[in-house]
Amino acid sequence: MTLRIVIAEDNALLRDGLTALLADRGHTVSAAVPDAAGLLDAVAAHDPDVAIVDVRMPPTFTDEGLRAALALRRDHPRTGILVFSQWIETRYATELLAGDPRGLGYLLKDRVVDTDRFVDALARVASGGTALDPEVVSHLLGAGRRRDTLDRLSPRERDVLALVAEGRSNRAVAAALRVTERSVEKHVTAIFAKLDLVPADGDHRRVLAVLRYLTP
Amino acid sequence: MIGRVLAAPAAARTWREAAFLPAGLVAATPGFALVLLAAVAVPLSVLTIGLPLLVVVLFLSRAWCGVHRWLFRVLLGRTWVAPAPAGGTGLLGRARARLGDPAAWRSLAYSGIKLPLAAVSTYLAALLLAGGVVALTCPVWSRYSPTGWGLLDTGSWTSSWLVALPGLAGVLLFPWVVRGAVALDGLLASALLGAGGRDRRIGHLERGRADLAAEAAATLRRVERDLHDGAQAHLVAVGMTLSRIRERVDRLPPGDRPADLAEVAALTDAARATVASALTELRDVVRSIHPPALDAGLDTALQTLAARSPVPVDLRADTGRRASEPVETAAYFCVAELLANAARHADARRVGVAADDRDGVLTLRVTDDGRGGAVLRPGSGLAGLHRRVTALDGTLHLDSPAGGPTTVTVTLPTGREALP
Repeated sequence: MTLRIVIAEDNALLRDGLTALLADRGHTVSAAVPDAAGLLDAVAAHDPDVAIVDVRMPPTFTDEGLRAALALRRDHPRTGILVFSQWIETRYATELLAGDPRGLGYLLKDRVVDTDRFVDALARVASGGTALDPEVVSHLLGAGRRRDTLDRLSPRERDVLALVAEGRSNRAVAAALRVTERSVEKHVTAIFAKLDLVPADGDHRRVLAVLRYLTP
Repeated sequence: MIGRVLAAPAAARTWREAAFLPAGLVAATPGFALVLLAAVAVPLSVLTIGLPLLVVVLFLSRAWCGVHRWLFRVLLGRTWVAPAPAGGTGLLGRARARLGDPAAWRSLAYSGIKLPLAAVSTYLAALLLAGGVVALTCPVWSRYSPTGWGLLDTGSWTSSWLVALPGLAGVLLFPWVVRGAVALDGLLASALLGAGGRDRRIGHLERGRADLAAEAAATLRRVERDLHDGAQAHLVAVGMTLSRIRERVDRLPPGDRPADLAEVAALTDAARATVASALTELRDVVRSIHPPALDAGLDTALQTLAARSPVPVDLRADTGRRASEPVETAAYFCVAELLANAARHADARRVGVAADDRDGVLTLRVTDDGRGGAVLRPGSGLAGLHRRVTALDGTLHLDSPAGGPTTVTVTLPTGREALP
C-alpha cells in the first residue's frame, strides 16, 4: 500500500533522510516542512494518509508539534498522526491520547533505525490504528495509577498487555513473543477479565480499551 | 570659601539635612521605646519570661531601623548594604537566631543613642535657626514693638543692629551645626546599621556560589542541547542510511556471489544494531546530565522517575512553585539515586517518595521497606549526594537501622524566606 505522507521536522538531516527512506519503500512524501505552520498548510493542501510530526519545532522548541498534532486531529480527523520525539514525555502521550487514540502514534526518533518496525507503525497509524513507543507503554504501566490491579497479571500477561498497548495486532504480538496467535487471544481474554475490562473484539477496539484503562 | 559659608543657609543640602533631623527624631522615639523594653526584658530573661519579649523586641528593633536607613537614603542619598537575615529554621530556631543576631543588638544600640542625639541636634538647630532669624530681622520689627522682648532689649534702632549681628552669625552657623549632627549620625549608622564586614563577605560569597551553580547548570544545558541536536540527530541519520543500504542489498539479484551479499546484509544489520545501542546510551548520558523532564517542573520529573523505577513507587510530590534550577536538579538526582539504591542494595519492594516546598525549604523524604543498614561511607553514592546537597546549603539525614526500613530526608533551601 502506497501511503501519502507529510513530514514536519526542523532538522534538515533527519527530514531529508526520512523522505529518502520512505521513498525507498515506495511511499510518497507529498511535503516535508520545517515548522508547525507549514505542517497545517501542507496537510490542508495534500490531504495525506498520515503526517509525521516532530514534537519540538521552532520557534520555542518545546511542544509546537504536539499543539499542531492536536489541531490536525480537530481539523483533519481522517489523517493519521505519528508524533516523533527525541525524549519520551509521558504527559505529551497522555495529552495526545486524551481524545480518540485512533490513528495516533507516538514514537522515539531512535525507532526509525529499525525501519521495518517504523514503517509498520506508520502503516498502522495511517489505517486508523495506534502506535505507541514501548517506552511510553512502560511508563504508563509503571505510572502507579493502575499499579495495584496490574500486579494481578502474570509476567507473560504483562508482556502481552504492553504489546497490545503499543497498538499491535494479535498476529504481531504473537510474532513478537514467538507464540501462537491462539495463545495470545487466550492471554488477552484473561487480561481483560483480571482488569475488569469489558471484552472488546477487533484489534482497534482492544487497543482503545487498554489505552483508556492505562492513561490517567 | 566665604561664598560657600554665605550661601549655605540657602543650599538645598542644608534643608534636606535640616528636614532629616526632626524626621529622625520622630522615628527615633519608637526605637527608644524598644530600647526601654529591651532594658526591662534583659533582666526578666533570667526568669525566661523575658526571653520571648526580648526576641520580639530585637525583631522589631531591627525592622524599625529600616526606617532610619530609609530616611538616610531618601533625604541624604546614603545607603548601606542591609545586614544579612537572621536565619534559622522553624519557630524555635528563628527565635534563637534573633537572640544572637548582632545586627539586631546593634540596631538597639543605635536607637538608644539616636534619640538623645536627634533631640539635642534638632533643638540646637531649631534654636540657631529661629533665634538667628528673629535676631537678624530685629532692625525690622524693633520699630513696631515698644521695648523688644527680654534679651532682645532694644533701646535704640542702632542697638537693634547689634542684636542682628549675632542673629546673622546664628543663621550662618545653623547649616554647619546641622551638617555636623548629620555627619555624626551618619558615622553611627555606618557602624551600627549596615552589614558588618563579615556579613558583607558572607553575602559576597553566597552570591558567588549561586552564580557558580547557575553557570554550571547552564553549561550542562548547553552540553545537553549540543548532544541532542548534534550527535543524536547524526546517529539517527546514519541509522537511516544503513537501512537504505540494507534495502538495496535485499533488492540485488543474488547472482554468482550470494555469500558476499549475505555478508554485506549481516554487516549492515550489525552496524544498525550498534547505532541503536549508541542512541540508547546517548539518551542515558543526556538524561544523567540534565533530564529533559525537569523542564516541566520537579513534580513532573519525579513522576517520570517513579514511572521508570523498577520498584513500585508511591509518590506524593507537591512542590508547586519552581525552585532554582540547581536546586531542582539536585533534588531530582537525589531521588533518582535513592530509588536506584533502594532497588539495587536494599531489596526493597515498595518505595515512598514525598516532596514538598514550604517556608523556603524543599524537603524530600524517600522511604523504602528494604534491608536497611545503609551507611554514609566516604566514596559511596550517598556520600556524593551529601556533598552535592551541602554545597547548596542543604542537609541530608539518613535513618537506616539494620532490617529496615530506610528513610533518607533531604532539605534544600530555595531562598524564598517568609520573614525578613
